[in-house]
Amino acid sequence: MTAATDTPVLEMRGVRKTFPGVVALDGVDLTLHAGDVHMLLGENGAGKSTLMKILSGAYRKDDGDIRIDGRPVAIDSPRDALALGIRIIYQELNLIPHLSVAENIFLGELPSHRLGLVDWRGLYDRASRLMADLGLDAASIDPRTPVGRLGMAQRQMVEIARALRSSDARILVMDEPTSSLTSREVTQLFLLIERLTARGVSIVYITHRLDEVFRIGKRVTVLRDGRHITTRRLSEVDVPELVRLMANRDLSEQFPKVRAARGRELLRVEHVSRGTALSDVSLSVHAGEVVGVAGLVGAGRTELARVIAGADRCEHGRLIVDGRDVRLRAPADAIAHGIGLLPEDRKAEGLVPGLTVARNVALPHGRRLARLGVLPRRCEVALAGPIAEELRVKATATQPVRLLSGGNQQKVVLGKWLAGDVRLFIFDEPTRGIDVGAKVEIYNLMNRLTGRGAGILMISSELPELLGMSDRILVMHRGRIQAEFDAADATEERVLTAALGLAPALDRTE
Amino acid sequence: MKNARQFGTLIGLAVLCAILWILTPYFLTVSNLLNVAEQTSINAIVAVGMTFVILSGGIDLSVGSIVALSGVVLGASLKSDQPMLVGVIVASLVGLACGLGNGALVSWGGLPPFIVTLGTMSIARGAALLFTEGRPVSGFDAGFRALATGRAGFIPAPVIVMLLVYLAAHFVLSRTTFGRYVYAIGGNEEATRLSGVAIRFHKTMIYGVSGLMSAVAAIILTARLNSAQPIAGMMYELDAIAATVIGGTSLMGGEGSLGGTLVGALIMGVLRNGLNLLGVSSFLQQIVIGGVIVVAVLLDTILKRRNRSI
Amino acid sequence: MKNALALILIAAASVSCNREAPADTRNSKPTVALVLKTLNHPFFVDMRRGAQEAADRLGVNLQVQAAEREIDVEKQMQIVENLIQTGIQALAITPSGSREIVSALVKARDAKVPIIVVDTRVDEKAAADAGVHTETFVGSDNYEGGKLAGDYLLKVSGGKARVGILEGIPGHETGDSRLRGFRDAVKATPGVSIVASQPANWERDQGFNVFQNMLQAHPDIDSVFACSDLMALGAIEAIAAAGRTGKIRVIGFDALDDAKKAIGEGSMAASVAQFPSEMGRVAVESAVKVIRGETVPAQIKVRLELVTKENLQ
Repeated sequence: MTAATDTPVLEMRGVRKTFPGVVALDGVDLTLHAGDVHMLLGENGAGKSTLMKILSGAYRKDDGDIRIDGRPVAIDSPRDALALGIRIIYQELNLIPHLSVAENIFLGELPSHRLGLVDWRGLYDRASRLMADLGLDAASIDPRTPVGRLGMAQRQMVEIARALRSSDARILVMDEPTSSLTSREVTQLFLLIERLTARGVSIVYITHRLDEVFRIGKRVTVLRDGRHITTRRLSEVDVPELVRLMANRDLSEQFPKVRAARGRELLRVEHVSRGTALSDVSLSVHAGEVVGVAGLVGAGRTELARVIAGADRCEHGRLIVDGRDVRLRAPADAIAHGIGLLPEDRKAEGLVPGLTVARNVALPHGRRLARLGVLPRRCEVALAGPIAEELRVKATATQPVRLLSGGNQQKVVLGKWLAGDVRLFIFDEPTRGIDVGAKVEIYNLMNRLTGRGAGILMISSELPELLGMSDRILVMHRGRIQAEFDAADATEERVLTAALGLAPALDRTE
Repeated sequence: MKNARQFGTLIGLAVLCAILWILTPYFLTVSNLLNVAEQTSINAIVAVGMTFVILSGGIDLSVGSIVALSGVVLGASLKSDQPMLVGVIVASLVGLACGLGNGALVSWGGLPPFIVTLGTMSIARGAALLFTEGRPVSGFDAGFRALATGRAGFIPAPVIVMLLVYLAAHFVLSRTTFGRYVYAIGGNEEATRLSGVAIRFHKTMIYGVSGLMSAVAAIILTARLNSAQPIAGMMYELDAIAATVIGGTSLMGGEGSLGGTLVGALIMGVLRNGLNLLGVSSFLQQIVIGGVIVVAVLLDTILKRRNRSI
Repeated sequence: MKNALALILIAAASVSCNREAPADTRNSKPTVALVLKTLNHPFFVDMRRGAQEAADRLGVNLQVQAAEREIDVEKQMQIVENLIQTGIQALAITPSGSREIVSALVKARDAKVPIIVVDTRVDEKAAADAGVHTETFVGSDNYEGGKLAGDYLLKVSGGKARVGILEGIPGHETGDSRLRGFRDAVKATPGVSIVASQPANWERDQGFNVFQNMLQAHPDIDSVFACSDLMALGAIEAIAAAGRTGKIRVIGFDALDDAKKAIGEGSMAASVAQFPSEMGRVAVESAVKVIRGETVPAQIKVRLELVTKENLQ
């Protein structure tokens, strides 16, 4: 198409989007020039996905302007976006494994004969030509192969071919395209990207891999907490500065951390591995301490939590609870050893929505409360009542939990464990989706727990929360513990650097 | 919210009775109402088991076939001069075993309940036909038949059995840990698992309950017809599911009650009885009953959509 | 559970206003109930027609009800119970189960409703054990019918045949009698051998499948006797599918219109005709007689006729 002109291909200005209780985007700008590769950076929850989903029509913005080639446009549905030449490739590829490469590429537009039968020969021809055109090595991907048989890198190529199947694709958004690629495959992908930009396709590229940013990017935009922080040419910045821009924020939130006396070791994890998700993880949690676990999405934090809570089995390694070697075959075993999990997705994994507050709290304790299988009258309410009061749950014991607010729901999940004999808590994103007031209440509860001698392993994507409430911070990257900091030594940049895999891996002799 | 839905079902039943009372003088007599109760009792008992299964998020298509299999085993036992109690116990064990088999395949095998119980439906039916070579076993002594013909005061024995079954089942569902787990597993299986409940064990037991209830129904049916037929129980699963769903239990699991199921079964029994009394052609009857089921589920879905807060 | 209790209270309260069926029905025409096995079959549709004509002629109300499937004894029982509630004066019934139906007849007896049995007999021992007395049996002699079919086969095959039999539902007196009649007719002739005998449960598609399998297992079959025409018609299609139309003799029972057409075309040899509309007529006439206090014979045989290409009109 045309060479880079003055008018940007895409301008997003002042884009706002709120979800109930949370402002995802607060007046964000993004300007994309023709033929550019524009990097979009930010931590988890910074707003990158939301912004791109607005661009691709999956979400509707609440406020703001979008212009294509200087013309204002309305993108109210994915179809509108497609009509404007916007294509998005998500991190989780949307391919159908049983169908062939060609069918996936032309899904929805299969060429047909007059009778409505599929024109297979025409389909495969078009697919081959398209891939050759894009410079994808047509010889190694037979358009008739079922996609399920291809490797990740090849699937990515298919996805890209699909996105570019029509010649009117002008803006391509790529969300973490290299997360599953080897370095050789990454190089191939970058060659393809160069070819695309040479043809005039403009690309918005989201990534956490800062090294890539400089290899193919021209400009970069950094988002933080839903706000636009800066847009610069990549020739004008370096990695440490980008990290600083991503992390730095006003610590306007209060973290009422109360340090408790550190007691005996409650949990020791030794060289635990599980598939590709966890590699040789070792850590320990003591009574009275809060150990924070930081890391980016996919680092393995939730997998670690599930192994410790008995929800998944570890393939190698040992778990030592209260000095004793334990084998956790099911969550019931972990609970018997005094381990309680507040899952990442409290609605899907923490609560039974149709049951009342009291029954949710009492659920793990059925056997203990019952006599010969029969539950005495009102025993659940008797158990849950005082706990709900202590936690200040704003609901009666007989209300169904699905009607409660996020903060109160989280307290109910916590209440399940307080009703029993839990000494080691695993909090997985404890304050996600909870308003500020309720967050503080949860922090205070954490203090009370540690004050009573419990230990807490807290996984969080909110750096301030980690820095504010932890006694120690572990940083995970790609299934390993990349770094460990004492609260005093930790800063946001250090943590983020480790989370991005840029800090030298720890040599932790144990 | 739960109670509003069930109250609605009860009102539906009352309205139906009122309409029939207006349309035919034969409906609201003691003897007819007792007939209805007696005719409904078999489906109502099967529906108890179905309610347990659906509450836990599953489904059981094999209930009708288990009724047939338990029935013919009972028949054979009675014919071979065993005491009635032996026959009853053996039939119950057969039903229980079929149910546990279903449960084990669903829990440990990880297979979808629809497929497993569809298979059992065929297997149990075939077993019943094989066992009897296709012929019914008939002609039992009066002592056994009293289970259907007997009366306590003016209440027929099958109705008494039905009420006892409902009382016992209600107690289990509302006052025991097992009952709690039925709702919890149906409401959110993963959360229940993470709360330390032995999911696989309990799911197996739940299907066992369904099999057992089918056996109890078979005992009453065999006494009522004075015959154990290998072709008995056809389409029972549909009637049981209909009673359960009309009664307010959600097919997704986690919500519902036995009281509702009883009302649902009664609605269907009253409907059939009323259509007979009115002399409506049997073809039209099928249409009306199907229509009622669709309307009931539609209302249920609409109410649920309004209640969804998340 | 509170709901269920409330229901019972409501019902009990309203019942107190409505104890007995109102007496005004006594003044109007008497009602005869005809409970059939099913209405999904031309045989019973004809029966109903004959009954309705007789009812209109004699000035009585006719209530006809049936289950959906012939084998649904339980449904029939419910229908009988419910109809008794409406104060019928007589019950004519084609029982879905010869023994199973006795439990329902007990209720008729208790309500002092006279019983006329049509087409399929009630098991005598079971009825006697339960103390149930039936006024009369109206029907064809299915045994005679089976014998008619057997005799016909002997005639047209010259005493040499290899026969496959399609039975009805096991345990049904109708099918059992026809089967017995046929077997008795051919058993003295050594040249005629029955190579296979399987139930197809009165259904057409089962008749197709079962006979297709029989042909596979016994390719030398040259004749088939089906205890009902629907099964015979299914067998005819199986024969056509095997490409052997005209080479296998088919004898059916019921003389349905479709069967008569097949006989005319030559794909079927013969069928034993019953006269269900006559059965229906006689049943209603007997019921009226009983209501009026007249006596009726213990059994009324309705004629049977063998329909072949020769006497087809």
